[in-house]
Formats: sequence, structure tokens, C-alpha cells
Amino acid sequence: MVEEHTTATGLPIEEAVIEAKEAQRHQVKNDRWTRLLDHFRREWQIYAMLLPTIVWFVVFLYKPMYGLQIAFKDYSIFRGVANSPWVGFEHFETLFSNDQFLRAVSNTIKISALNLLFGFPAPIILALMFNEILNATYKRAAQTIVYLPHFISSVIIAGIVITAFSPTAGIVNTVIGWFGLDPVYFLTQPEWFRPIFVGTGIWQEAGFGSIVFLAAIAGVSPSLYESAVVDGANRWQMMWKITIPSILPTILIMLIIRIGNIMEVSFELIILLYQPATYETADVVNTWVYRQGLQSGQYDLAAAAGLFNAVVAFALVMTANSLSRRYSRTSLW
Amino acid sequence: MAGVSLNGIVKRYGAVQVVHGIDLEVAEKEFVVLVGPSGCGKSTTLRMIAGLEEISEGELAIDGRYMNRVAPKDRDLAMVFQNYALYPHLNVADNMAFGLRIRKMPRDQIKTTIAETAQILGLTNYLERRPSDLSGGQRQRVAMGRAIVRHPKVFLFDEPLSNLDAKLRTQMRAEIKRLHNRLGVTSVYVTHDQVEAMTLADRIVVMNDGRIEQVGTPMELFNNPANTFVAGFLGSPPMNQMKGKLTENGAQIGSSEIKLNGVTAQQAGRDVIIGIRPEHVTLAPGEGTSPLPIALDLVEPLGSEALLHARFGDDNLVFKADTQGDIGHLTGVGEVHIPALLVKIFDADTGRALSVGA
Repeated sequence: MVEEHTTATGLPIEEAVIEAKEAQRHQVKNDRWTRLLDHFRREWQIYAMLLPTIVWFVVFLYKPMYGLQIAFKDYSIFRGVANSPWVGFEHFETLFSNDQFLRAVSNTIKISALNLLFGFPAPIILALMFNEILNATYKRAAQTIVYLPHFISSVIIAGIVITAFSPTAGIVNTVIGWFGLDPVYFLTQPEWFRPIFVGTGIWQEAGFGSIVFLAAIAGVSPSLYESAVVDGANRWQMMWKITIPSILPTILIMLIIRIGNIMEVSFELIILLYQPATYETADVVNTWVYRQGLQSGQYDLAAAAGLFNAVVAFALVMTANSLSRRYSRTSLW
Repeated sequence: MAGVSLNGIVKRYGAVQVVHGIDLEVAEKEFVVLVGPSGCGKSTTLRMIAGLEEISEGELAIDGRYMNRVAPKDRDLAMVFQNYALYPHLNVADNMAFGLRIRKMPRDQIKTTIAETAQILGLTNYLERRPSDLSGGQRQRVAMGRAIVRHPKVFLFDEPLSNLDAKLRTQMRAEIKRLHNRLGVTSVYVTHDQVEAMTLADRIVVMNDGRIEQVGTPMELFNNPANTFVAGFLGSPPMNQMKGKLTENGAQIGSSEIKLNGVTAQQAGRDVIIGIRPEHVTLAPGEGTSPLPIALDLVEPLGSEALLHARFGDDNLVFKADTQGDIGHLTGVGEVHIPALLVKIFDADTGRALSVGA
């Protein structure tokens, strides 16, 4: 005969243990809630300051995600997002069988690669150069001059570029004319679009982009340079052996962010500079989405293309972040 | 090895002069400590020796060579910085090799030099680590290693221990002293800590407001301070300083008199500062002591001894007492005894030491 063990309350031991564990879980749960409540009561000012950012994220980033479902629906503005019928991956199949879309993907990657290759190092080089300027007045003036294009509207920038490359009165063709060469209508020739676009981007953004690297350089302890001076390093050696390695974590973070935006080339500037003659090299995913979605009213197809863009960017940023974390101990998260 | 010679060194930042004509001879293999309060110009003087600050006026010579316009790298000196100045992206071995690589020393020689230095400093097991993976004391050792591997003529130390905790500071202080005894390199060391100055220096240079107040061996400065500033700066707690007047028989402090021999007729009646070190004040009368009535207001036990704070007229008086005896009765009004032989007299107007007394 099996003897049943009981507790002082008369409950069998197994049941008493279960009951005690349950009570403990309740207690822990209650404690956790009390602690959380206390925490909010104590730190409510911080959460109040955080609120506008959360609202911004919800309204402009999370709420629109609801509309992403039209990428999988036969969307009709009359039926609305919820009542449009599901079509599965039909729009994605259409996209990947569309030569224009594939060309846009290819152009996006090529322009982004050029931007990364030439546009990414430009602000770093500029910041390193600013750092070498000893005269404070000259440094300030030079910085202001290179920051200015960032504050000019893309429309004006495009206007300047169109004027500069104009075959009749543009400065570029005037200079070409001095060498006895025929004028070239650069903006109608597909092979010139990418260099002009990437060059314009560098001119507009390199100065402003250098601010973050200048801030990183300012954070390098002056005693590292002094120690290097005593050790016999010249300015060139100090730049290579101290400045660049010291700002490397910042460079990597900026690179990860840049890789995350690789599918987002400057949409407005392309719209302003391209024309059917240069679609071959200039049409990118965003301009294609703009034409299909807004101009032709194919919102569902455009949403599918946008979603494709976002998924690629997400995968790229995850990969870059984990590679950076593994090899350089620097990462966004 | 080499000596360092400073002759009328002046430093100006625009119209503001921060160092007012420093004259100092540091002998070969000597360990000289520049000590003084913050902003006294000691670090600026060191940085002028290093070549990190331009010399506005005066002459600097190292090993007999005029150095004013010589680049820091060609002065053949090594500097240890307050925050260690270790390159965060390089490991210990590469940090130590930095200066040698810049000077294009052959790879094998660099390896051997680093191995030897790491052995001396106990860093052999840390050569592959980055500075962020080291403790404060280990970082400090790496910084010293980086200086040592260069085999310079002169070592410059800019408050190298001030970022360490008290225990580690004491330990590293002893290591620096041992290292100097072993290597025998001429060293100029800057600190605001008088204990570091007293324990490390062959000679101490006390600086104040951009000027040298006194130069001498630690005991010379401790026993015979040239003025009230030096008297108040060296020693822990510093020398007690009380206002008084010289009389024919000694010095009058309030209604009490300390008996001193040798006060001249011209000196009698002069306003003076009477200085006495806390450790020289006794609770019991002895030979040649004069009593001083005090009102005790605080006892700070330090273990083997206690610091006693008392009021004497308008002046504060701090003195030490052995806690092996009973100090429980030391409350309220009492009497301490001042040995005439150990009293220092300073001019009340100039603060300079006066030659008076037994």
C-alpha cells in the first residue's frame, strides 16, 4: 500500500508544491508590475519626452505598413485596402517579368555602388582635410562654403546642373570649346547620367556629411597626437595611424546606415535630371514606382516594388551590421 | 644620458604670461619633481621641455644642445601622459612598438626590445591585449613601457599617477622609483601630489603662479622651507602658521610667548608668521618647549595616530598625537607644547623665512 504524504493543511505534498509555486509566480508577477509602475511614476518625464517620437513613428512609419498588404491584393481605391481581393504573389511575378523594373533594379544598384564607392569616402576625406587646416578663420570659411549646397533645394541644384552642362551656355561646354572640341549635350546621353548624378550628390552632400566625421575626430584625445609627436610621427603618419583608426567605429556605423539606404537613391534629383533619353541608365526603382504608382495608378504593383526595396535594404543592413560586429566589434545594435 | 638646462624660460599666451622666467638645472640621471597647485605652470614647463609648447623666451638645452627650435621627435626624450595616451585600436605590443616603427627600427630588434621591456614591467602576458582590456595600473605600465623602449636621454612624466586609485598609486610610485634606480635615466616628473614629490624626487622644484618658489632635496624643503607657500604645500597636514610678533625673548603669539634665542634688537617688534609642523607639537612639556593654550574642537583618529584640530586665538592649529596613549581626555581647553628648536619664523609681509632662533 502506498502511503500518501500530506502537509499540515491536509493537502498532498505534490499539490502543496504546485500551489506554492503558483503563489510565488503570482507574487513575482505582482512584484514586476509594482516595479514597472514605480518605474513609470519615477521616470514619467523621460517617457513624456519620448512620446512625440513614438507618435511620429506610429503615424508615419507603422500605420502606413497597414497599406503594405495591397502588394498582395488586387487593389481598387473604391473597394479600399481591406475589401480588395487577395492575389498572392501575382504583383511580384509581374515585377520580375517586367524588363523596365529589372532595369530599374540594376540601375539602382549601379548608382548606389558608385555612390558608395565615391560618395561615401568623400566626406571622410573632407573631414580629414579640414582637420589639417590650422588657421581657424580659413577653416570656418571653408567649412561654411562646402556645407552650403546641402541647404539648397534639389530643384535649384538640378537647375544649376542643367545650366552648367547646357550645350549652348554651360560652363562645362564653354571650357570644352576652349580646346576646340564640339559641345556635348551631357544630360541627354545615358553614359553621362551616372557620373553627373553621383558627382552632383557628392558636391551637395559631402560637406554636410563631413560634420559627423569632424565630430568623431574632435573626440580623439589630443594626448594621442602629442604622444605621437614625441614618438616622431609626422602629420601624414598621425592621420593614418591615429585619426583614421580612431574614427573607424564612426565610419563603420555610417557605412551600415548607408548600406541600409542603398536602394534609396536621391529620388527627387533623378526625377529632376532624367528624361526618357536617359531612362536606360537613370531610371531607378523609386522613379519607376513613382511612374507606375502615381502616374499610371497601379498602386498595388508600386507597393510590391516598394516592399521589395524595403526587404532588400533590411537584409543588407542586417548583414552589414553582423559582419561589422564580428570583425570590428562595432555595430548599430 | 643627459642633463636638462632651463634658462629664463617664459611662456606667454597672447598678453597673458603663465611662466615667468624659470631657471633650473637637472643633472644627468637625476629625478626632479616639479610640484605645485593646479595652474602653477608645472605642466606647461614640462611641455616646453618636450617641445609640445613653444618657448616664448629663454633657452632650453638638453645634453648641452640648444633645443628651443628642435622638433619634439629630435629631442630624444619620451613622455608619459596623465591619461596614458595609449592608442585604443592597437594592442599592448603595437602600442609599445609605435615609436620604434616610426623610427624604422628593424622588426627583429623591435620584437626583442618589446619582449625585454615587457619582462621588466610584468606585461609579458598582456602583449596581445588592447588598452580597453587592461586595468588602470596595467595601462600605466604600458605607457611607461612605450617610453622605455625608446631608450631616450630624458623621461618626462606628466602627472602619470593621478588617474589611479590611492592603493595603486602607492604601488606604481614604488615601481617608478625602482625603474629609475635600475635605468638611471634623467627624469622630470610633474605632480600636484606632495607625497609623490617627497617619495620620488632626488630634488623637488616647488612652483607657484608660474615661478619657482624653492628647489632642494625633499628633506631640505621639508625642514627648511624658504617661505610660507612651501611650508604650507609640503607635509601632510601642512605646517601650522600663526600670526605673531618677535620680541627680545622670542615670539609673542596672542598672550603666549615662545622662547627663542638669537632674536636681534632690530628684529624685535617685527610682525611674523610662526610655523610649526603638526608632528612637532607635543602634549607633554619637554626640554626647550613653550606652552600654548588651545581649545580642542575635533579629533580625527587615523589608526596609529590621531589628528587633533584646535583653536588658538584666531588661528587654527592641527597636531598629531600617538593613539597608543589615551587621547580620550583630550577635550575642551588644554595646553600643547612647542619646541623652540623646530619653530620656523617667516616675515609677515613677504612670507620669506627669517633666520631667527636657537
